[in-house]
Amino acid sequence: MDNLDAARLQMAFTLIFHIVFACVGMVMPFFMIVAHKKWLNTKDVIYLKLTKSWQKGVAIFFVVGAVSGTALSFELGLLWPEFMKHAGPIIGMPFSLEGAAFFVEAIALGFYLYGWDKIPEKFHWFTGVIVGVSGVASGILVVSANGWMNAPSGFDYINGEFVNIDPVQALLNPAWFTQALHMTLAAFTATGFAVAGIHAYQIYKRRHVELHKKAFKIAITFGAVAAILQPISGDLSAKDIAKRQPVKLAAMEAHYETQKGAPLYIGGIVNTETREVTHKIEIPKALSFLAFGDFDAEVKGLNDFPIDVQPNVPIVHYAFQTMVGLGTLLLIFGLVFFVSLVKKSWWTNRKFWLIFTLLVPLGFIALEAGWIVTEVGRQPWIIHNIMKTKDAVTPMPGMIYSFYMYVGLYSILTLAVTWLMMRQIKSLNYPNLY
Amino acid sequence: MLNVVLFFLMVSLLLYVILAGADFGAGIVELFSTKKNQQLTKKTIYRVMGPVWEANHIWIIILVVILWVGFPEFYNVLVVYLHIPLTLVLLGITMRGVAFVFRHYDAFKDKSQILYDWMFRFSSLVTPIFLGMTAGSMLSGQLVITDDYANYSFIDLFVQPWFNGFSILVGVFFASLCAFLASILLIGESHANDRKVYVTKSEKATAAVVGIGFIVICYGFYHNITFVTDFIKNPLTVGLVILSFILIFPLIISIKKAKKVTTRLLAGIQVTLILVAAFVTHFPVLIIAYNKNINLLETASPEKVINVLGISLIIGGLIILPGLFHLMKSFKMIKVLDD
Repeated sequence: MDNLDAARLQMAFTLIFHIVFACVGMVMPFFMIVAHKKWLNTKDVIYLKLTKSWQKGVAIFFVVGAVSGTALSFELGLLWPEFMKHAGPIIGMPFSLEGAAFFVEAIALGFYLYGWDKIPEKFHWFTGVIVGVSGVASGILVVSANGWMNAPSGFDYINGEFVNIDPVQALLNPAWFTQALHMTLAAFTATGFAVAGIHAYQIYKRRHVELHKKAFKIAITFGAVAAILQPISGDLSAKDIAKRQPVKLAAMEAHYETQKGAPLYIGGIVNTETREVTHKIEIPKALSFLAFGDFDAEVKGLNDFPIDVQPNVPIVHYAFQTMVGLGTLLLIFGLVFFVSLVKKSWWTNRKFWLIFTLLVPLGFIALEAGWIVTEVGRQPWIIHNIMKTKDAVTPMPGMIYSFYMYVGLYSILTLAVTWLMMRQIKSLNYPNLY
Repeated sequence: MLNVVLFFLMVSLLLYVILAGADFGAGIVELFSTKKNQQLTKKTIYRVMGPVWEANHIWIIILVVILWVGFPEFYNVLVVYLHIPLTLVLLGITMRGVAFVFRHYDAFKDKSQILYDWMFRFSSLVTPIFLGMTAGSMLSGQLVITDDYANYSFIDLFVQPWFNGFSILVGVFFASLCAFLASILLIGESHANDRKVYVTKSEKATAAVVGIGFIVICYGFYHNITFVTDFIKNPLTVGLVILSFILIFPLIISIKKAKKVTTRLLAGIQVTLILVAAFVTHFPVLIIAYNKNINLLETASPEKVINVLGISLIIGGLIILPGLFHLMKSFKMIKVLDD
């Protein structure tokens, strides 16, 4: 494996892990403050217990998210020094603001975790709200920096030099809003369903049912609302990509021939030799409509782009199909949850809880697939149409060893966090621990 | 605006060294304690560091962001040529952070604590050593900055410049400085009958800092390391070092008397003096390589970028510093100010 591939794999690998930790750390504070508010309003000790239990989850994920994020901030430079040398000054603004938001979050979390019975009740709860809000702000700012890689703006590129830099315009690049909205909703969907599913499993196992039902309801409400809103954001993203990165759209759909009234493919196997898609379901004219809001619009196919600017089509296509498929499934079960609020008998049926248990990983798989679409779909560019990834990689050889080391470290980290979480959940069944 | 950015760069560096340094040092103190004192230290660390622990470490992110936004080519040299020690620092930070959380947040306190404890103590020692080695390498005059990678071996370009006597000594010096800061902090955070433990540790750590500092200077002088010879010749630096040496005497007296406020103030001043001395010796040339020097100011981004960065830092500072201050005060970190 050459240095570039090793560096790309290491980046992909660290991001895949960081995204999970960061999303949970970003979304769980909201569950925590809802439970906390309910405790303050009702004085029902179950809510207090739930808040304190979720707070431990928040602390663990915050720290693991923070350390893996610190690692990433270094890795950007360590792996892609040439990229950071030019891009750093341009997209420094979202990163410096993210640093500030993250700092605020760390301070607020310090207050929240250690403030029980020490600071005024309402202020204590409010510091929890700040944790949630600044966490989401951090996420949005980081995604804005990524948006710039897809939609570089805020500078002039003259003779290979980046001049007339405008950091504010770079922050507010054309992709920032659609990407940040899509990501934030995805984080809420994935975390909402995952946390709800873990509690559903406890109900399925008939452990401490009262507490877990309350927990389930809070988490799934966030997840379900986000899942139901997601298609609107997805549509905005698709139209945006069609306009700015047509080759990415063509790869997402494995759309080879340029045509008017292009059909939408569902599923399908990509044959890169014959440049065809077999075993697909076709919805006539749907792609033209989804991409441009016009059933007869022309959608440019991969064959009309030079081969050296095309991403890996099968990976992008399968990832896209996975994301949309799982997203739709979660949307359906989001609706199922709202129906179950009327049809209360479903809550006494164990199958209901089993189904939600099975949904635990799906949101995160969809979320990772979405990032694969964004990142692999942008290749071979690290800065769309400006700088190729291969020109940005570190000149230091032997990146493969660095990659192996990170695989080892992050695997251990994941196992450890999973183990710790299992112990947290188990501890809920020991009533005297809190 | 460039001065604002430089001010924040210096302040972040200083705060990182003092706050994160005390934090790393706490783990080192724990590592070099008897079994009984290890448990005591662990409890004290949790009580003292718990609320501010994460905030202490964000200064390094601020530092990195200032460098990559404001001084991209300077940062580029660091990440290319010091890739390996920086990666080792990252591993240390990751392991330490994780161990800290695990040992305090694990739902059950059982045998797994032994593993977390060792992870925490070990990474508390090696992380500042690698950090110090990285800083030492910037000034050791052994980096080879080139575009012609084929003409040099991997060892010459990416290993030898940081894996050498001078850098290792600087690494050990920084670790001892961390232990010094932590043991002084812990004097004021422990109960009266435990204070003796940290008084002894502070005395030992002070001796270690002075001793290793002296060895670093001698080694550098003997091996003709430009930074050290310039350090000794610069009247401002020499003045600062003499001042810091004189201050050791009142420091030792106040350690013996277990005076919380004075020891902390003096320790803080000591570290600031050492850091400022090292910083001004060659400023703005902050990388002394074998074949060329890198001037920080010459790598500054265009004015517009520096302006936006400066404004972001001022706004961020206005939001963060009062919050951080309030946090530390609320949990009685800044006892100095209460007395």
